[in-house]
Amino acid sequence: MLKINEIHKSFGKNEILKGVDLTIDKGDVVVILGPSGSGKTTLLRCINFLEKADSGMATFGELQVNLHDASKKDIHTIRQKTAFVFQNYNLFNNKNALENVTEGLVIGRKIHKTKATDIGKKALDKVGLSDKYNSYPSQLSGGQQQRVGIARAVALNPDIILFDEPTSALDPELVGEVLTVMKNIANEGTTMLVVTHEMSFAKDVANRVIFMDGGVVVEEGTPHDIFISPKEERTKKFLKRVLPEDYTFYI
Amino acid sequence: MSEGLNYTFLIDTFFIALSGVPITLLVTVVALLIALPLGFLLALTRINQVPVLNWFSRIYVSFVRGTPIIIQIFIVYASVPLILSLFFERYNININVYDINPIWYAFIVFSFSTTAILIEVFRSALSTVNKGQLEAAQSVGLSNLQAYLRIVIPQALVVALPNICTATVNLIKATSLGYAMSLQEITLKAKVAANVGYNYVEAYIDIFLVYIILCSLVEYGFKLYEKRLRRYKYVSA
Repeated sequence: MLKINEIHKSFGKNEILKGVDLTIDKGDVVVILGPSGSGKTTLLRCINFLEKADSGMATFGELQVNLHDASKKDIHTIRQKTAFVFQNYNLFNNKNALENVTEGLVIGRKIHKTKATDIGKKALDKVGLSDKYNSYPSQLSGGQQQRVGIARAVALNPDIILFDEPTSALDPELVGEVLTVMKNIANEGTTMLVVTHEMSFAKDVANRVIFMDGGVVVEEGTPHDIFISPKEERTKKFLKRVLPEDYTFYI
Repeated sequence: MSEGLNYTFLIDTFFIALSGVPITLLVTVVALLIALPLGFLLALTRINQVPVLNWFSRIYVSFVRGTPIIIQIFIVYASVPLILSLFFERYNININVYDINPIWYAFIVFSFSTTAILIEVFRSALSTVNKGQLEAAQSVGLSNLQAYLRIVIPQALVVALPNICTATVNLIKATSLGYAMSLQEITLKAKVAANVGYNYVEAYIDIFLVYIILCSLVEYGFKLYEKRLRRYKYVSA
């Protein structure tokens, strides 16, 4: 459904993405792991044109787009097919929870307001915020804000939702509620591409795990392949660092 | 005769000063109508580092901010008629430049100076709105224009409003310098009335009162508007 070919991106002299390929099928839950600075977030942002890639192609169903010089129309089309969940939630501060969810429907997708309100309420119900329709972001906890962020993405009914470290800015005790919501929507068959440091989510929910380092895909496979029998030295090293308890056994 | 204040004159002149309010307000409103959009657009050129325009706004701001308004008035009031008369002569337009109402010069001077101030007001206000707000708006399918109109500007405006209020009040007060080009505003009218019997103290008191009433009303209006705009902030849960 989504295919990315040979994507390159540099910031100044610093080459962040050195030719990344990526294929995602409908219903996939793909988790990208990797140390910070490995280009995971940049990859996600390039797919949604929040960052302009230096080169690379994206194939979205029938639509093929050059990631470097896509037309405004193509960018708009791709953004209609995708939704983005941000690390810092980025809820619209001047809109309440319900308006945050309906904004993209009414303005971005020209859906009638009554219908959009309906969809918006359902999306907020799904993430467990039926009592917060009228709350502004400043009145919500981090976990609640991120759940609104997810509702905003889900309501758009996109072909794929891109998650950029959705739990990294949260207090530890709020991570669980967001992961639960993500699990639920994954179980409904939503196609997801998730950058995260939550290994449990990668193990339990993903059907494919990609390990990135230094701007390239080092290794990819099922969670079992990556976590139990990683082939590449770099993957092993990374896992040893983030999952020390699994390895104490062998020392 | 010269003992104490001339209360009859004080009261009469108060109303004469008051009759200058429409001109003061007209100049203020026209200057704001020009300066608000222009200041906003030039602030955008500075934030987005638009080539040439970015430099233009920067130089423009430092020039206007670095010179007293009274000097700007003198320059415009002295040079524009000269340029115009040359222009009229050349194209055989039969208009006497000295018949032009000074209010046109006031529009020019005060729009110029207010624009410079508002560029800085908007620049600082826009930079308080996190870039993520724009990105989130784009990611849900809003165009840049829609994102600015619906998400970024409403938030920037809340931050900018106290400073816009200050700029407006300063502008109202600055129009008193319009007397230097015989603009029929509050200060000039009261002063002219005082010339007859040398009742300057009374006239100055009247001018003082009219400005303080006018400015307080404007400030109050801004406060109400600000309260309405910022209802999404710090609302009790």
